[in-house]
Amino acid sequence: MKKYLIYIVVLSSYVLAQDDLKRQFDYADKLHSNSLFYEAITEYKRLQFFDEGSTYSYQTNYRMGLCYKAGAKLDDAVKYFSLAEKFARTDEESFDTKTQVIRVNILRKTTGRALKLLDDLESDSSFTSKIDEINYWRGWAYMFADDWENAALAFGKINPSHELKRKCENVLNEKYSITFAKIISYILPGAGQFYMGNYFSGLLSLGWNVLCGFLTVDSILDDRIFDGLTLGSLLWLRFYRGNIQNAEKFAIQKNFEIANETLRYLQNEYVGLKP
Amino acid sequence: MKGCKRNPFSAFFFILTLFSNLLLAQTNSSQIDFFSPQNRLKFGDYLFREQDYLRAINEYQEYLKIANNDTARFKFAFALAEMGRETEALDNYKGLFFSSPLNEGARLEFYKINFQQGDFVRFRDLCTEKIYLPENSDLIIQKLNRFSYLLDDNLLPDSAAFVDVFDQGEKEQVLNFYMRKKFPPYKSPLTAAVLSAIIPGAGKIYTGNYGDGITAFLLTGILSFLAYDNFKADHDFRGWLFTGLAVMFYSGNVYGSVASTQIYNVGIKFHFENEVKIYLNEKKYFLNKYDFLNR
Repeated sequence: MKKYLIYIVVLSSYVLAQDDLKRQFDYADKLHSNSLFYEAITEYKRLQFFDEGSTYSYQTNYRMGLCYKAGAKLDDAVKYFSLAEKFARTDEESFDTKTQVIRVNILRKTTGRALKLLDDLESDSSFTSKIDEINYWRGWAYMFADDWENAALAFGKINPSHELKRKCENVLNEKYSITFAKIISYILPGAGQFYMGNYFSGLLSLGWNVLCGFLTVDSILDDRIFDGLTLGSLLWLRFYRGNIQNAEKFAIQKNFEIANETLRYLQNEYVGLKP
Repeated sequence: MKGCKRNPFSAFFFILTLFSNLLLAQTNSSQIDFFSPQNRLKFGDYLFREQDYLRAINEYQEYLKIANNDTARFKFAFALAEMGRETEALDNYKGLFFSSPLNEGARLEFYKINFQQGDFVRFRDLCTEKIYLPENSDLIIQKLNRFSYLLDDNLLPDSAAFVDVFDQGEKEQVLNFYMRKKFPPYKSPLTAAVLSAIIPGAGKIYTGNYGDGITAFLLTGILSFLAYDNFKADHDFRGWLFTGLAVMFYSGNVYGSVASTQIYNVGIKFHFENEVKIYLNEKKYFLNKYDFLNR
């Protein structure tokens, strides 16, 4: 009987030993949940410093990663998520930290790194059941890299009618072809701008090209060859090239607007997980 | 329970366990006061070693409200300086100037901060007044004093007097800085303007902008020729148009050459001052390392 009593006393001592650490952890968590990220990090660090048994190493590092991420200190976030990964006790925790690192890489647009980490996760036999999540973050990585086609493919692997797949396809359909805009501008100056609805800019381009072309041809017909060549190379060519570059610039800008509109929707209205 | 023999040791062990439990409770983490002054100091030192100065400042501040510790105050001041809070750092270093074993280091840091603040006239006044000069490190302050002349526009002292405080290994580099400060390779805006007025673009070439110079020469030349050619072909409107453009390019080229020398000269000064600062940083402002900072 007394033996049991001794066990109980020893056990209670151990439990008590955890009390202050737990209280400190809860305190830091409370600061974190109140979005006081700087203060939360201080308290997590304090807990880590006094937690000689590293009982809370995973949780503190993971949460510090979250705090840094919320404060847009993405490099620090990666550092702490990587530290948390070292202290992960289960496959689930390991997967969580790895995906957090990937999500931060997506946010800081180091897409190559994010995709490499996703490939590593996919080839890891411990995470075969997580293939949908892997594809989900792969889709996000592609979306942030403005590669909507591959993003649609990645989401399509989860579900052929996945909401984000449809979003990506919409973007692809709405986007303008930069090559087409340039080619028609080569043929008829201003046509590229017309294609994108920039009628005023298109008319200006056409007007300048007609005027400079006339001046060039007129000089050459007047036997002022040098005059004509100079006008042609300095003025006409400048407006002709400018028209093509302008068409390309407009197409890129319009495509950005289309992509940004979708990203804005994802940021403000999409209810699923975000990086 | 009847007939069961009582073991005299079990009671003893029970009491021993209770006692050790009590002891444990006093010593182990179940009794950690995370915010006690000593624990704040320990945590602050840890943050300081991690170079997390902003958080270390907070811990030292709380600790120093209750305790007086010269090392903690020195680290506090050091962390403040690292975070750009120089005025507070100076105040805290001043607190160590008298009757502290760290007064020598504190005085040196005080001078270093004053130097880094960039008010070199005030820095030299502090050196002359000798109120806070460290007793055993006067030479370091003299070296900084010499360097202050390289970073402002005051008259340089004589070269021999300038380099005499430096070690043999430092003298060559310091003399190089001295000569570059005394005879900076500046370009003259007037020369650039005259050159560009005679040959468009020559002023730009004089300041090393070869591409700009050649472009200015070609454009002014072509526009002038076009003006001449159009007047000759009785296209008066176009003639005047190209004349206007040629005049615009010509004046722009003269003005641009003057501006180019100014940019060039600012670049020379900027690079020189940067080199001096890099040298000082590499030399750690001639200050020794403090071992206690890493403890």
